[in-house]
Amino acid sequence: MTVRITVDGAAYEVEEGRTLLQALDDLGVLMNGVEVPHYCWHPKLSIDGSCRLCQVEVEGVPKLQIACDTRVTDGMVVHTKSERVRKAREGVMELLLVNHPLDCPICDQAGECKLQDYAFEYGVQHSRSREPRRALEKRVELGPTIVLDQERCILCRRCVRFCREVPGTGELVVENRGDRSVIAAFPGAPLDNDYSMNVADICPVGALTTKDFRFKMRVWFLDELPGVCTGCSAGCNIHAGVANNRVYRYVPRRNDAVNETWICDAGRMSYREIGSASRIHHPQVRGADGRLTAAGLGDALAVAAARLRAAIEGGGAEAVAVLASPHATNEDLLALRRFLAALGAPPESAGVAVPTGASDDLLLREEKAANAFGARALGFGGADAVIERVRSGAARVLLALGHDILAPAHLRGDVSALALLDGVILLDTHRSALERIAHVVFPARHALEKLGTLTNAAGRVQRVQPVVEPAFAAWSEGEILLRLGEALALPGFEEPAAWDPHAVSKSLGEELPAFAGIDVDSVGHEGLPLRGESA
Amino acid sequence: MVKAVKPKKAAKSGAISGATRKRIAEEMQKFPQKRGALLEALHLVQEELGCIAPETARELAEIFEMRAVEVMEVVSFYNMFHAAPQGRHHVHVCTNLPCSLRGGRSLLRRLEEHLGIRAGETTPDGRITLGREECLGACAYAPMLRIGDTYHENLGVELAKKLLDSLE
Ligand code: SF4
Ligand code: SF4
Ligand code: FES
Repeated sequence: MTVRITVDGAAYEVEEGRTLLQALDDLGVLMNGVEVPHYCWHPKLSIDGSCRLCQVEVEGVPKLQIACDTRVTDGMVVHTKSERVRKAREGVMELLLVNHPLDCPICDQAGECKLQDYAFEYGVQHSRSREPRRALEKRVELGPTIVLDQERCILCRRCVRFCREVPGTGELVVENRGDRSVIAAFPGAPLDNDYSMNVADICPVGALTTKDFRFKMRVWFLDELPGVCTGCSAGCNIHAGVANNRVYRYVPRRNDAVNETWICDAGRMSYREIGSASRIHHPQVRGADGRLTAAGLGDALAVAAARLRAAIEGGGAEAVAVLASPHATNEDLLALRRFLAALGAPPESAGVAVPTGASDDLLLREEKAANAFGARALGFGGADAVIERVRSGAARVLLALGHDILAPAHLRGDVSALALLDGVILLDTHRSALERIAHVVFPARHALEKLGTLTNAAGRVQRVQPVVEPAFAAWSEGEILLRLGEALALPGFEEPAAWDPHAVSKSLGEELPAFAGIDVDSVGHEGLPLRGESA
Repeated sequence: MVKAVKPKKAAKSGAISGATRKRIAEEMQKFPQKRGALLEALHLVQEELGCIAPETARELAEIFEMRAVEVMEVVSFYNMFHAAPQGRHHVHVCTNLPCSLRGGRSLLRRLEEHLGIRAGETTPDGRITLGREECLGACAYAPMLRIGDTYHENLGVELAKKLLDSLE
C-alpha cells in the first residue's frame, strides 16, 4: 500500500508505514534534493529521536515534528524550508555547540563532519555562551581499534545502537546523565567485535576515530574511489581513500544488496595488502646458480614459454598443471580459459584453491577470496585433482595463478611435492613459499589496480577499477597469459593483441550464458546478479 | 588538612545474598519483563552491599539476563545508586538552577573546602560522602542539602559546616 505526501510542494508516492526520513531515503531524495539534516537517524539502525535536528513542519500539526519518527499519512503536507524550521535547526545547533570544543583544526573528522557542515549551513556564526565548556577526556581507548574523544561527542547514540543491533555485542552505553553523559564500555569488556570500526564511520562528528586512520591524512586530500573489498567472497562495496597514489583507508560504500552500510574490520584493514612490502615487484627468473633474479618481462616470458613447450612436447597438455586464482578478475580468468583451450585442455582441468577463515551470519564469508564464486562459474575444477597430477608425475610443469594452494586445506605450506617439477611458473601479487621454489615469477596486479569484475558469494558481479597505479611493473594475469600464449604461438594467439579488459569483459557473455549482458561497463557501481542467481 | 582519596575497597564486599536474590525474584513477578524489576533490585542490593560495584553489576546482569554494561548504565544514570562504596553519611547539596541562584553552588564549594574532598568523594575516615544533587523539590527553601533522607533547608555556610561537624 502506498500513500501520497507532499514535501516542499513536490508530490511523492511512498510506502505506508514508513517514517518521513525513511520514505525520503527510499525515494533517494534525502539530502539529495530534500535537505532534512539529521544526526541520530541512520537508515540501517533503529530510531532514536534524540538529536532533534530533523524537525519539519507538518500542516495541521501545531508543533514541529521530528521527521525520523513521524509516519507518513495519506495527504500529508510537509515543509522543510520554512522560517520555523530554520529557527528550530538554529536552536538545536546552538545547543549542540554550547559544549563542543573548537577542535576542527586538529580533528580527523574535519572535512567530513556533519557538525561542521550543519553549523556552517544552519548555525549562527557566533557563540552567545560565556560559560566554560565541559572538559572531558580527549583520548579514551574504547577497545583495540577505536578511540573516543568525549568532548566531541554529541550523544546521538548511533555507536550504542550499532553495537546492539548489528554485531549484537552491545559493548557501549551512555554512562551518567545530562551534561555529564559520556559513551562508555564496561570495565574489562571493551568495544571489541569483528565490525567495531564501523562506529567511526557512523559517528557524525570526530568523537570516534580508528586507531588505524587517525592523524594519518586530512580527508579533503583523499579521492574516495569506488571499489570492492577483497578480504572475502562477500564482496562488500567500499570507497578506497587515495592520495599520492596510495590507499589510506577503506570505508563502506552503501549497497543494500550486498553490505548495506557496513564492512568488517578485517576487510577494512585489507587495504594494507595493496601497498604491502611483500608485494612482488618485478619479473624474476631462476638462474643457473639456482637463485631467483630480477628479469625483464620478455626474458621471463621466453623462459616460461620454453619450460611449457618442453613439457607439452613430452606429455601434451596433460603435462601442464594449472591453478586458477580466486583473486583474479573474471576477465583474467576468461583469458586463462582461452589459454587452456588453445592448449587443448578443458577449463575443469585447472583447479582453484580457496583460502578459508572465519565466517558469520552478517557479512563475513568463509572463503577468503573475492572471486572464488566467479572462478567456479568460469568452470574451473578442484585443486586436489591438480595436486594429484603433480604427485603422480603426470604433470611436469605447474602454471599457478596465486599461491592459495599453500592453504591448510591443500599443501599446508609444504611445497616439497612441487619441488620435483621441471618448472613452476607463478603469476602472483605477494611473496610466498611458492615464489621461493618458482622458476619464473610474474608480478600480478591487485584487484584494485585493474579494471574488471568479481563475482561475490551470492553470484553478484561487481566492478573494480584501478584506484592506484603500482609503483613497479605489474600486469593483470590476463595480460601475462595473453603474452605467454603469443610466446608459445598457440592457436588463436598468432596476432599480437593489446590487453583490453573492456573487450574481454564483453565476450564473457558470449562464452558463458550466465554472463549474458553482464560486463564491466554494464554492471555499474552496484553490480548485477549472474543470470540465474538471485543476488 | 585531610587528604582526599577515592575509596577503592568495598565497605561490605561479597556476593548478593540468597535472601536478597529471593526478594529480587519476587519483585520480578510483578513485571511483564524481568528487567522491569531492575530498579527495585538495585535498591535491595545497595541496601545489602552498600554500593553496586562492577562485580555486583555482573551478578545482577546474570540474574536479569542483560549485559553488565546495561546495569552500569542504569546505576550511573540515577544519583541514588553508587558504583563505589560510600561514607557513613551521604551529604547531597542541590545545585539545580533555583538553589544555584540562592548560593547552592558556592555552598557546595565551601563544604568541599571544609571537608578537604571534592563532590563525589568520601572523607578518608569514611565518615562523609559529599555529593551534588539534582532538584529535591525544596526550591522555596534554597539553598538546601540532604543528609541521608533528611532535608536541611535555608542554609548558611556556617550552619551547614556545623551540621557536618556534628555527624559521627
Ligand atoms: S561517539 Fe559519535 S556516534 Fe557515539 S554517541 Fe557520540 S557522537 Fe554519536
Ligand atoms: S565481509 Fe568480506 S568482503 Fe566484506 S568487508 Fe569483510 S572481508 Fe571484505
Ligand atoms: S534525526 Fe530525528 S531526532 Fe535525530
